[in-house]
Amino acid sequence: MAAINSKDIVLRAIQVLLLVALYIFLYFPILFITYVSFVDNIIWPFPPEWTLKWYARLLSMSDFHVGLKNSVYIGLCTAVLSTLFATSAVIGLLKYRTRWRGPMILLYISPLFVPGLLIGISTLMFNANVLGMSGKLASAIVANTTEAIAFSFLVILAQLVRYDWRMDEAAMVFGARPAQVFREVTLPTIWPAILGAFLVSFILAFNNLEISFYNLGAIPTLPTIAWGTLRHGIKPELFALASVINLLVFSIIAGLFFLIQTGLVRFGYRGE
Amino acid sequence: MAAQLRLTRRDLKAMALSLPGALFLLFFLFLPLVTIVIYSFWRSENYTMIADWNLDNYITLLTTRTYLTFIFRSLVMSLSVSFICLVYSWPVAYFIARYGGRYRLILVLLTAAPFFTGIILRVTAMQQILGPIGVLNMFLTNMGLAPLKLLMYTNYATALGLVYLWIPFMVLAIYLSLLTFDFKLLDAAMINGAGPLRAFIEVTWPLNWIGTCIGLALVFIPTFAATITPKFLGGVNGALYGNILAHQFGATGTWALGSAMGVVLFAISSLFVYIIFKTVNLNRAGYTGKLDGE
Amino acid sequence: MQTSAHALELVEVEKQFGPVRAVDNVSFSVEKGEFFALLGPSGSGKTTLLRIIAGLESAGKGSVHIGGRDVTRKPPYARGIGMVFQDFLLFPHKTVGENISFPLKMKKMPAARQKEQLDWVLELVRMKGFEDRFPNQLSGGQKQRVALARGLVARPDILLLDEPLANLDRELRKEMEVEMRRFQAEIDIPFVYVTHNQEEALTLSNRVAVMKDGRFEQVGDKLELYEAPATAFVASFLGLNNTIVGQVTAQEGGLSTIDWKGIRLPVPTPEGVGVGDSVQYYLRSEKMHIGPLEDTPEGADATRLAARLRDIIFKGQYSDYFVIVENGEEMVISDVPDIKGITIGDQVAVSWLPEDGFAFAAKGDR
Repeated sequence: MAAINSKDIVLRAIQVLLLVALYIFLYFPILFITYVSFVDNIIWPFPPEWTLKWYARLLSMSDFHVGLKNSVYIGLCTAVLSTLFATSAVIGLLKYRTRWRGPMILLYISPLFVPGLLIGISTLMFNANVLGMSGKLASAIVANTTEAIAFSFLVILAQLVRYDWRMDEAAMVFGARPAQVFREVTLPTIWPAILGAFLVSFILAFNNLEISFYNLGAIPTLPTIAWGTLRHGIKPELFALASVINLLVFSIIAGLFFLIQTGLVRFGYRGE
Repeated sequence: MAAQLRLTRRDLKAMALSLPGALFLLFFLFLPLVTIVIYSFWRSENYTMIADWNLDNYITLLTTRTYLTFIFRSLVMSLSVSFICLVYSWPVAYFIARYGGRYRLILVLLTAAPFFTGIILRVTAMQQILGPIGVLNMFLTNMGLAPLKLLMYTNYATALGLVYLWIPFMVLAIYLSLLTFDFKLLDAAMINGAGPLRAFIEVTWPLNWIGTCIGLALVFIPTFAATITPKFLGGVNGALYGNILAHQFGATGTWALGSAMGVVLFAISSLFVYIIFKTVNLNRAGYTGKLDGE
Repeated sequence: MQTSAHALELVEVEKQFGPVRAVDNVSFSVEKGEFFALLGPSGSGKTTLLRIIAGLESAGKGSVHIGGRDVTRKPPYARGIGMVFQDFLLFPHKTVGENISFPLKMKKMPAARQKEQLDWVLELVRMKGFEDRFPNQLSGGQKQRVALARGLVARPDILLLDEPLANLDRELRKEMEVEMRRFQAEIDIPFVYVTHNQEEALTLSNRVAVMKDGRFEQVGDKLELYEAPATAFVASFLGLNNTIVGQVTAQEGGLSTIDWKGIRLPVPTPEGVGVGDSVQYYLRSEKMHIGPLEDTPEGADATRLAARLRDIIFKGQYSDYFVIVENGEEMVISDVPDIKGITIGDQVAVSWLPEDGFAFAAKGDR
């Protein structure tokens, strides 16, 4: 440990301040609209006049239910597809060292470097003009999956890099067949990474606007409804929607965090 | 040579598991990208593509002053936003990685979590803060002060919104890089006579440059393609390149020109990534080429 | 083929990795109750050979027989072996009991029998009462015992050990060496033990095979290897050696005189070596003696050199003496720790019997 002098303390204090400022910057808008979603006087909500009418209005919006259903459907399908592809790829590339590992990893994370807008318009063009299937939920799922694969791949890779594949060999020597090896040894150690990837892809696809928008035409999802509403000025229903979605996202993250903290789940546990 | 090309059983197993996703990506991500490259040399009329090979779209794009202005504006915007994110994220990520201790994970999760709310809802929230009837200006008005014109439907508001959207990526990229960085190297540098700043410049910065580059790319690319943020925070005159690109696919249906714009967008993003990764010297970045520490 | 007599038999096994021949035409057999060590430097192919026996690598050529069955084409899980890995490789999500019972569970053994076997092996490795702990709650030595128990619990036809003591500290290693001898004596399962540590190999095993570049340099009883190395490599690899390279200047009887950078020494004549040929001569430090210059030599046959004592490293039961002889070369002698009349910087006498060293024709001509 380096000696702590006054200069260090000042430096560290500045870092703490920056961190706190970042949290305020990131969370104030979210928390503020959550607060506003419960008040009637939305323009200057001090003192608040509490109400739940924005939530009631959100529920009574004509396409809200359809949008919710579509978003959940897109989210789930995307999550299943991308998690399957990514899990199998990471296991293949890490367990069986191959000379194509580098290029393959690059291919799998490349969608991160293609902006959503570009994925949106190119899949629109491709699906509409080449495959002749535009404005279908399936095309939105496929397009979202390309992006989600990259995120799933990274989440799983980050955890599995630390997995010791000789553990599988050990199991095999002691009489486990390949399927038993996976069930008895691999899966129990890597499932948290798979779950993490599933949740991340679900949330991304659920909330995606740019990719889904171009692929869906008139089919509503929650983000496209939000977009349509926002175009016509501030609508407090959106605050209610944002609050609900934030609650969902944060309960998932908090749940994961709880699992890690209580040791029920050991991410990247190496067995040492 | 022949032996070099032969597939080992290990190669085959690796391929069997990783090819499905790879083919999926090639078919549903790269083929569409190739499609718009082809379409960018075609002509479109009323939402249909006509295979009439020409360079008109690119000529229009690169000779029309308005389009060039939009490209330039977006370039300035993404460079500024990336730079702001970079400068702000470094001390934050450094603090979390080095002094976060057992709270490291929660601290970094907290910076990353807002990303998952989705762009549209985060922009909504930002608009409620910055807009003319946003809480910031209502506060100023109530205090009897002039509203902050600077952040009301301006490019500054867009920039702030984009930083708000993408800074989690930068923090995360630098944090993950610092996570694998051995801070004891700094002790070694200091024992050998380097001051803290010198140690940072000589050791910390170069060894985490790849992570920083990834962060820069992850901020620059979506920022350059931004459509929602400038639309809702930038106001009438705040449109960026992404907006006119999106316009070709919405209102006007000029798909061929839009495709060419997409190609240019991709080219500029790739060029940026190429330039920053040119600065990476794998040996000097402490890259061992090994994923599993074998 | 008369293979049923051997617990393990390898016939002309080969393994190629790209341009490298990791295992090159290796044949050997291990008998019931034997403790067999595969000794070699890293990269010598010993671990690959062990993995071929386990079925974790496929043999390019040749065949592997375990308990008389040809298992060359069988996957690891069908070979009926036990194995102890270098980093133990205990399953982190299973308790000690579950880890040890794993091979039994894979065999679908009834629960009562599993319990019986588990109790037996826990008794053997003295780990009773640890069944419900997780691996990360164990010390290094305890993990080692669990790994051994897991290897032995199903009473395999053979137990393979891949540098099992490499990650333990010195004290623990000594203790485990004794323990492993005991397990091996108590049960009748043959052990095949891979190590790069000559001391471990010599302490533990009955027979040793020294490997280099994928080939067996010598296989035999450990004393035979130590006292009569067949090749220069075996001689240099076992024990602490002084390596002397010189040219033969004269030959008489069984002895050749070599010129070692100006010093003439008698050495046993290696086969097929004549005057003018190069000879490598390996002299074990513990076969040499050191004393004050004026001491009389212990025998008329002894070679005696004057030297300057540079350093003494105290090792406990003995000390290593580092001396510089007259041609400027350094030699090391292991002798009793407390020799009267010599201190660092003194002129001393170094002596040995020529036939205590091993001479070989030097490879290549120079």
